[in-house]
Amino acid sequence: MSAPVRAAIVATGQTDHGRRFDTSMAEIAREAIDRCLESRGLHLDDIDAVVAGNMEMFEGIYLVDQLFVGALGALGKPLYKLNTGGTVGASTALACYHLVASGRHRRVLGVGFQKQSEGSTQAAITTVGDPIWERAVMAGAIGNFAAMASTYIADSGVTPEQAAKVAVKARRNACLNPHAHLKMPDITVEEVLASEMLAYPIHRLDMCPASDGACAIVMAADQEAGKLADRPAWVHAVATAHDQQYMGDSPKRLAVMRSLQAASRKAYALAGIEDPLRDFDVAEVYEPATYAELAMCENLQFCAMGQGGRLIDDGVTFLDGQLPVNPSGGVLSTNPVGATAMIRVAEAAMQVMGEAGAHQVPDVSRALATGYGGNAWTDVMILSAERPR
Amino acid sequence: MAQHGSDTWVIGLGEARTAAVLEDVSINEFAWEAIQPALREAGVELRQVTGAVTASQDFWDGRTISSMNVNEVACGSLGSEAKVAADGVQALGYAAARIADGDQHLNVVVAHAKESEGDAHTIELAAFDPYFERPLNPDDTLVAAFQAQALYRTGAASPEEAARVVVAARSRSEVLAAAAVEDVLSSPLTAEPLRELDRAPRMNAACALVVCDDAKRNELERPAVRVVATASRAGAYWRERADLTDMTPASAALHDALDQAGWALGDIELIEIAAPFAFQHLMIAAALGLGAGEQLVARFERGEVNASGGWLAGSAESVAGLHAVVFAARKLRAGEARRALVHATTGIAAQSHHVALLESAA
Repeated sequence: MSAPVRAAIVATGQTDHGRRFDTSMAEIAREAIDRCLESRGLHLDDIDAVVAGNMEMFEGIYLVDQLFVGALGALGKPLYKLNTGGTVGASTALACYHLVASGRHRRVLGVGFQKQSEGSTQAAITTVGDPIWERAVMAGAIGNFAAMASTYIADSGVTPEQAAKVAVKARRNACLNPHAHLKMPDITVEEVLASEMLAYPIHRLDMCPASDGACAIVMAADQEAGKLADRPAWVHAVATAHDQQYMGDSPKRLAVMRSLQAASRKAYALAGIEDPLRDFDVAEVYEPATYAELAMCENLQFCAMGQGGRLIDDGVTFLDGQLPVNPSGGVLSTNPVGATAMIRVAEAAMQVMGEAGAHQVPDVSRALATGYGGNAWTDVMILSAERPR
Repeated sequence: MAQHGSDTWVIGLGEARTAAVLEDVSINEFAWEAIQPALREAGVELRQVTGAVTASQDFWDGRTISSMNVNEVACGSLGSEAKVAADGVQALGYAAARIADGDQHLNVVVAHAKESEGDAHTIELAAFDPYFERPLNPDDTLVAAFQAQALYRTGAASPEEAARVVVAARSRSEVLAAAAVEDVLSSPLTAEPLRELDRAPRMNAACALVVCDDAKRNELERPAVRVVATASRAGAYWRERADLTDMTPASAALHDALDQAGWALGDIELIEIAAPFAFQHLMIAAALGLGAGEQLVARFERGEVNASGGWLAGSAESVAGLHAVVFAARKLRAGEARRALVHATTGIAAQSHHVALLESAA
């Protein structure tokens, strides 16, 4: 990266995700903010600007950032509100980065939040489809991933058993993460395959949950970062790419993830990544469905195209594998949409900072985080313990 | 803005038609109607644009991720788009940050709203607390009426002065009929003391900029305007404001921008304010230090403030501020002014404020 100001994530905070009937939307956002700031002894007065991410049609609150401006800690400060779909948490983290790396602000708070229990996510997601051609046949995330997974199976030969192993990995990893929603220590491949078929080939346990939760980060400028954290997670690259808006316009969208390829190739070039499997110590990828993680591993070049099933069979992406993918439990275990992609970024930063607790991967130096959402919108961030030159 | 990296330059400007109803274009086509001329002015094709920052509201588009409607025409497939849910002036500020840090070099900034495709009351009702306020069926007009009552009680402005702001705006409008003070004051009451003509009519509007860094500007050699500074400040939710007429966030945003630019307010020759209600213009202008009372109203009438007519002359949610940027940039390029200030608002009762400072390249 050749940004004029180096930037690093110096603090993260998450709620305990799940069905949070004990909090309001404002409270859940503030819970993550308070945990984030308190982790470094920071106060809102230390923050120059706030970036908020939330998909407001999910809970049905227009201008949600303006309603909750006090809870977001943004009163009297610059407040940016992004809503880019599933990626929004990552888009929010990227905005934090740009606002710091440009020299505009020195300490920026990013917060993503969602209370899916207070709205109808599937109804809202259905509105992304073409009202005439798509909404009736591919409503919500499940329908989209079913169509995409079918294509992926036909193209790569990946099996339902291999996909089920992703579900097992995620829900078992989640048991080590105090913030995760779905924790299933005894889950088996057979249980995944026996779970209700939602839309072929997606079983209930192949799919992410609907969670309530929030996540916050603080991005700080060069000189500040070292003072605020013993081991900051320096940003080495960011990239964004989106595909065409209607799935039918970009065939084989899951098998060939053009936007993930484009964004990751750009980020790899910026960060000097030559062999992702070798060069990354951990990855937090945005996998709303089991099949998606396998396809993403291929498109991120963790293996050759068509070899995603083999990768999980060989245990490469398990917590004790060569490249642990989603040690946090991933989206399959926790999915408060407005926060989900920021959780990927925060978890990657926690791994770099050595603060991931029971799901810490040993000796992490470089981590990858991705966000994914509507029209295959992809955000990529590469973090490292080493300050960029 | 760019204290360390590249400056941001506006090298292309485009506007779609502004009209109450446009049934011959989809949202996607409508955005393209603004983007295409901006690209033409910049002398670039869509495939050369690598990213975009868009401004729109999901609720107005009736679609979650409303930018999906436009990102193909804003920066093409596999481009890098980000969307702010605020006025386009904030989108310009974010685009400037992405350029200043070297991530982007040639981008589109586009704001769009087809207000004819949504029901304003239903949408604005969704901006209120769902448990305690929505049962009372409020909208922005209702709260603006409280705000206007508070302002008029102070004696700082009157319904007649607000009506003169409307008259001044409509006299400069290319899409709205002219009106007299009597027309405003006798138009239907919407919420005491506000009349129908006190508010900007609901319109379809879109506008676009092509922005770039120093290197692209030198390469493309197009007439350019420099984005010198941008700033935003969030105000309190309407119910939590001790004084609804307090526009401190507007003045705070302005002073932040002036500090970045190293300018004084007196250095600025062209001033545009974007707010949906006429009386809000008087509150905001006063907060920005542009005067008060009769003297301030006269500045609107003479076109010293809002020479374009502003939102009251025809624009839309998320678009009005960027519309003013397009107007100001044209004036700067034409040599009619050297420095410009554009202000915009987001939220119920002018809650949050955005500012951009622009300068002629000459």
